Amino acid sequence: MYRQGDVLIVPVEESAVPSVVAGLPARPRDPRGRLVLALGEVTGHAHAVVGPGELRREAGPFGTAWLRLPEGGRVVHEEHAVIALPKGWYRVVRQREYTPGAVRVVAD
Amino acid sequence: MVVQQLSSPREAVARWREVAAGTGPADRPAVERAVRAAYRAAGLAEPSAVLWFGSPLEAALAALALRGTAPEGLPLGPAAAAPATAGVRPGGAVSVREAIRTRPWEAARERVHADLGASGWAELWALTGGELWPQTRALSGRIRDAVLDRLAPAPTEDDEQEVRDRARPARAAVRLALLDGVLGPHDAPWLAAFDAVGALGALAPLAEIAAGAGWWWPYEGVALVCERPTELHRDEAGRLDRADGPALAYPDGFALHAWRGMPVPPEFLDGLAGVTPERIRAEENAELRRVMLEYYGYERYLADSGAEPLHRDETGVLWRIQLPDDEPVVMVEVVNSTAEPDGTFRTYWLRVPPSTRTARAGVAWTFGVSEADYRPQRET
Repeated sequence: MYRQGDVLIVPVEESAVPSVVAGLPARPRDPRGRLVLALGEVTGHAHAVVGPGELRREAGPFGTAWLRLPEGGRVVHEEHAVIALPKGWYRVVRQREYTPGAVRVVAD
Repeated sequence: MVVQQLSSPREAVARWREVAAGTGPADRPAVERAVRAAYRAAGLAEPSAVLWFGSPLEAALAALALRGTAPEGLPLGPAAAAPATAGVRPGGAVSVREAIRTRPWEAARERVHADLGASGWAELWALTGGELWPQTRALSGRIRDAVLDRLAPAPTEDDEQEVRDRARPARAAVRLALLDGVLGPHDAPWLAAFDAVGALGALAPLAEIAAGAGWWWPYEGVALVCERPTELHRDEAGRLDRADGPALAYPDGFALHAWRGMPVPPEFLDGLAGVTPERIRAEENAELRRVMLEYYGYERYLADSGAEPLHRDETGVLWRIQLPDDEPVVMVEVVNSTAEPDGTFRTYWLRVPPSTRTARAGVAWTFGVSEADYRPQRET
């Protein structure tokens, strides 16, 4: 598994990808042709993947995203070093924080 | 009309994301033209007056006066007198929201649904409205609650029965007046979805109003329109967030104060700069205490109180702060793996469940994986 700031990228076997993922819409690429894993509302800084493949995300602020990279790819961010990913399937998880009675998303 | 293929959800989301966070004075003549066009598109006579207000609070007051349902004892002020000044008779106003907003919206939705099918509609929504929904919904909800609480404060358990009996119908009256409003820029999720497939159609005037003004109230013969906020400060997660002033403010002074999404009283922020560990410990409101702790800095607080780490491993350091009459604050201190431009490594703190025993278990929890499974092979 790989961590870039507040995003964890976990390799998964193709056979372990839930069947519902196929029914989720493929996310469009950003204007720079990247797959955006997480986007900062104010700075617009993004954890994004460069390379062929597709990203599908479950609904909701904590929705898990699923990333398929047929040839591998690179995860970039304005404030973090690049991470190279081998080809395969990945589960992408946003970091969260505990608050008594609730849980909130982390914004780094 | 046949909707287009999903050609531009990305552009639509970007455009309407910007609208939802828009600030600054409205182009009043353009908005007024769009308001008149919206009435005409709904088959209604144009309003004789389009009245402007500095915030949803003022517009809601005017709406209450127009409807003739202002709660007893509510000081209405000049905003409520505006319709009468413009020659509109107060009392018994008829809302035309249904004709202007609801019906064309339903028609657009049905058309897109028919063209794309149920799964196509779900896909369109996931790529457009679903992206904008959580933030716009949270923001409009906060504004609505604030207007409600200022015009008809919620009674507390300590209030007399008589006060509580009066509060219930007063709050209902304000809620109903708020329901007459069109959320303008906060309708961005829906407008983005229709825009992405070229299906705005009869909603085009509504889209133009949304892009140029704030919330608005269409009544027979008169429309009440709000200016946009002058200030809107959010954090990276899109939550209202500002430590040195209102996170959201309107030209008439109506404002909301919040720290990382948490509503706080305005005077609370004034005292934040001078906060001390003693004041943090003495604060009885757990949420405000959390804000004070975050603002003061966990690291500083721990250093001041001479705390010892609970646990330390290669993922970070686990700390605990004991608080009177409350569950302890347990946090992991994590170091960024990528150096800052000055060569230092930024540290950040994440609160984890109080039952956490190791730093690795804490970090693993923040990503929803088990302690045993959390083994990153590369971190940046």
